[in-house]
Amino acid sequence: MAFLEIEKLTKVFGGLRANDGISFSLERKELVGLIGPNGAGKTTLFNCICGHYPVTSGRILFDGEDITLHKAHEVARRGIARTFQVYVASGDLTVEENVMVGCFMQTGSRSAARDKARRTLKELKLLDLSGFMVRELPVPAQKRVTMATALGTDPKLLLLDEVAAGLNPAEIEEIMGSIRHIHDDMGVTVMLIEHVMELVMNISDRLIVLDYGEKIAEGPPQEIAKNPRVIKAYLGERYVREKGRME
Amino acid sequence: MEAVKNALDFSDFPRIDLLIAGAVFFLFLVFPLFPHSSFAMATMIQFLMFSIYGMGWNTIGGYGGQVDLGKAQYVGIGAYTTGVMLIRWDVPFWVSMPIGMSIAVIWSFIIGYPLFRLKGHYFAIATIATSLVLKDLFTVWPFVGAARGLEISPIKFPPPDFSRLIFKEDIHYYYVILGFFFGSILYMNWFRKSRLGYQLRCIKDNEEVARSLGINVHWAKIKTYAIATAFVSMVGSFHVCYIKAIEPVDIMSLDLSILIALMAMLGGAGSLWGPIIGAGVLIPLKSYLKEWLGATAGLVGIDLILYAVIIMVISAFEPRGIWGIVEKARRRKRR
Repeated sequence: MAFLEIEKLTKVFGGLRANDGISFSLERKELVGLIGPNGAGKTTLFNCICGHYPVTSGRILFDGEDITLHKAHEVARRGIARTFQVYVASGDLTVEENVMVGCFMQTGSRSAARDKARRTLKELKLLDLSGFMVRELPVPAQKRVTMATALGTDPKLLLLDEVAAGLNPAEIEEIMGSIRHIHDDMGVTVMLIEHVMELVMNISDRLIVLDYGEKIAEGPPQEIAKNPRVIKAYLGERYVREKGRME
Repeated sequence: MEAVKNALDFSDFPRIDLLIAGAVFFLFLVFPLFPHSSFAMATMIQFLMFSIYGMGWNTIGGYGGQVDLGKAQYVGIGAYTTGVMLIRWDVPFWVSMPIGMSIAVIWSFIIGYPLFRLKGHYFAIATIATSLVLKDLFTVWPFVGAARGLEISPIKFPPPDFSRLIFKEDIHYYYVILGFFFGSILYMNWFRKSRLGYQLRCIKDNEEVARSLGINVHWAKIKTYAIATAFVSMVGSFHVCYIKAIEPVDIMSLDLSILIALMAMLGGAGSLWGPIIGAGVLIPLKSYLKEWLGATAGLVGIDLILYAVIIMVISAFEPRGIWGIVEKARRRKRR
């Protein structure tokens, strides 16, 4: 029995099939990348898994339990945490308080939540930011804060939605370190949506490729990079040429 | 134990705030010992009542960001429960007040459940509607005195009577409501540090994020709405003993609902001191304006015009009210 199992998942918005019969499974402690062109249905898939959208058909099994009909907060309590591509903060919470909200899922005590939040911020090297309002931070920093907040819930599975978008190479290196740390040292299974190829190709054990709501390929990064369907749909001839030149 | 510690712990405020708050609260304690007019005393009692209304509203409206414009219905439920129980069955205040709070809370669950399926303006409008419907029901319900309302006769219930909360002198009412006021501050100080307090602020930020962190957003809102209701209803019970007469058009009016929300918004929604500051500015202003302008020049609606101006100024300049201005200045200074 796989850790996360998606069976023929379909999500239809009006006439649009955002996810069309997607099936795949995740093993415990895996690090899997989800790639594909814009509008391929990656974020929709996350939203379906997490219970933010009701699925049209198909099944989602997590840790031996059918969570297809679970609401978002119930899914979170089962151990799936996620980050959001666009995070809107009204500015009522500081970074530390934000992470504490995540920690409050496991504890009712403020001091316990605060300790946990500080530890999590430290793990992700964000301790310097704790006193800032989330709203005051630049978007890349906000995304790392949401990573810390999600981690605060003590998840078994973490879904990251484009956490590296808009980062410079040094920052990408840093966030890659954070993700590795979460996966290798903290033992969290990770699935990430990412357009930054040097990150997702380097870090993932396996890639799943979506296009027009369908899964078009699945396999180790080296294989995916050579897959003609993936090159045509997403990577593009130029990526392959440049990668060839670099090698 | 941690809850008690959190309620009594104000150390996350700057020292200057605590000094000011301590001095002001001390003045509240000794104020009746100095010579004062009965008008000043009445204004002080009004101020304390509205501070508690505002603190109650602040849980759901401030921390939770759900603009609730129907709090008067719970003032009414509290006031009517205490009033009816006293007049019909001679139930003392200290028994009828918790009963009134329970009835108000049960009612808040019943209407909160469907109401919180709505968001933003739709929620605000729906709260107004439920409050007005309840007011109309009470206006035609003979058991509670219908449109004439209730009156507590001083002959039937001679003062002073602590158990029924019937006094002749305002000073007694003053100290009772002051006790409620301090109790409410301690509760709110705990509330803002509780799990629910943090979760609410996250809900205000972003409901999708809140859900992804395991928060049952709908239920958290309903719970908080019930907490707000309990405080408002408590003061409603006090109100009927203090004023000794209630009418549905008065106690369940839209004016009152709006004033409660306005109080907290003016002072600073989502902060501990905000509702108290708001009431401290608005209630004396309202009382004295009414007294001076309303009586002498016949400008009856002057306080309503004032509310309108305040709403416009807050929404245009600083949605976080007076406390927002203070915090902004502090953050600027720190940089």
